Amino acid sequence: MSANGHGHARVFCRNPKLAWREIDGEIVIISPEDSSVHELNETAGMFWRSADGKRDVDEIVRELASLYEAPVELVRADVDELILDLTSKNLLVDSLMQVRP
Amino acid sequence: MGQESSIQSAEPLHISIGQVPMSLLFAEEGLREKAVSRYRDFAGAPDGLQIRLNHPVTSFAESPEFEYTLDDAGLRLRESEAEFRGVRHEYALDSLIRILLTVRLLPEQGFLLHAASIVRDGRAYIFMGRSGAGKSTVASLSPEGSVLTDEISLVRFQDGEWRAHGTPFWGEFRAAGHNHDYPVAGIYCLTQARENRIERMLPRDVLRAMLPCVLFFSSDATANSLLLGLLVEFLGQVPCHRLHFVKDSSFWDVVAS
Repeated sequence: MSANGHGHARVFCRNPKLAWREIDGEIVIISPEDSSVHELNETAGMFWRSADGKRDVDEIVRELASLYEAPVELVRADVDELILDLTSKNLLVDSLMQVRP
Repeated sequence: MGQESSIQSAEPLHISIGQVPMSLLFAEEGLREKAVSRYRDFAGAPDGLQIRLNHPVTSFAESPEFEYTLDDAGLRLRESEAEFRGVRHEYALDSLIRILLTVRLLPEQGFLLHAASIVRDGRAYIFMGRSGAGKSTVASLSPEGSVLTDEISLVRFQDGEWRAHGTPFWGEFRAAGHNHDYPVAGIYCLTQARENRIERMLPRDVLRAMLPCVLFFSSDATANSLLLGLLVEFLGQVPCHRLHFVKDSSFWDVVAS
C-alpha cells in the first residue's frame, strides 16, 4: 500500500539546479536562479539527504520512524508537510516529472 | 581602420589581483591612463588572461564559457581570453574585473567578499558586513598601511592555509589597498555597539550572514555548489566571531586578545 493511496510509489529528488551543503548539522540550500537561500533543520535534513530520486517516500518514512523511535503515521504526516513545502519552493521535484523551467 | 591601428598600438596593461594575472588590451588611451593609475600597485607579468576592452570585433569563434551583462557593460570569458564591452569609465572596468575574478578564483579555491581586511602582527583580520556595517570605520581606525582593503576582500586557500589578499577595490577609505597577502586570523561580523565585545559564532550562523556578502554572479548549479563547499570549508577552518564595537581604535584590544 503506498502513502498516496493510488497504488504507485512516490519518489522525489532534490532539484538538480540547486547547490547545497551540510554545516553544523543543518542543510543550507542555494537556488542560483533567484539567489535565494533556504535552511533545513536536522530532521528535515535527514529527509533531504534521503531524497535521491531512487527511494520512495514510504521507505524513507519507515527509516525515519525507526531512527527517531516515533510512530510511522506521525512521521508520515510531518514528511508530507515537508514535501509540500519543498515542492512549492521548487527545491524538491517529483522524480517522474520534469523540473519546472 | 584608424580604430584598428590604435587598438594594435595600445600598450597592454599587465595586472595581478589575488595572484590572478590579467593583461588588459585597451582601445582608448584615456581609459588606459585611468586604469594605470587605479591599478598602479597591482602590476603583473605579461602572461595573464588577455582581456580585450571595447573592441569593435569579437574574437570569440565559439560561445563563451561565462557571460555577464551589467547595465550597459558586459563581459565574455573563455579559458584563455576575455572581452569587456561597453566600458565607459574606470568604475565599470572595476566592476567587470571583480565579476571576472569571481569566476577565475573559484577553481583556485578563492572568493571575493564584502569585507575589510586589516593586517595586525602578520595576520589578516576580516571584518564583514553590508554597507553601513562599519567596514570603512574599522579601516579608518586602524594604523596607516595596515589595510588590505576596506570594501572587498579576496580570500584564497594556498599552501595549506587561507590567505587574505589586498585588492584595488575600496570604499569610503579611498586608499588603493596593498598587493600583499597574509594568513587569515579570523572573520568578524560587524555590529556597532556602546562597548567592545566579542562573541564566538557557529560557522552556520556566519554562513547565513556571509552569503549576502559574497560576490558571485554565476547561475550555474555546479559553480554554486563549488562556492558553497568552499565557504563551508573556510568557516570550518577559520575562527568565527561577532564583533560588537565602538567607533574608536579600542576595538583592537578585544580582537587581538
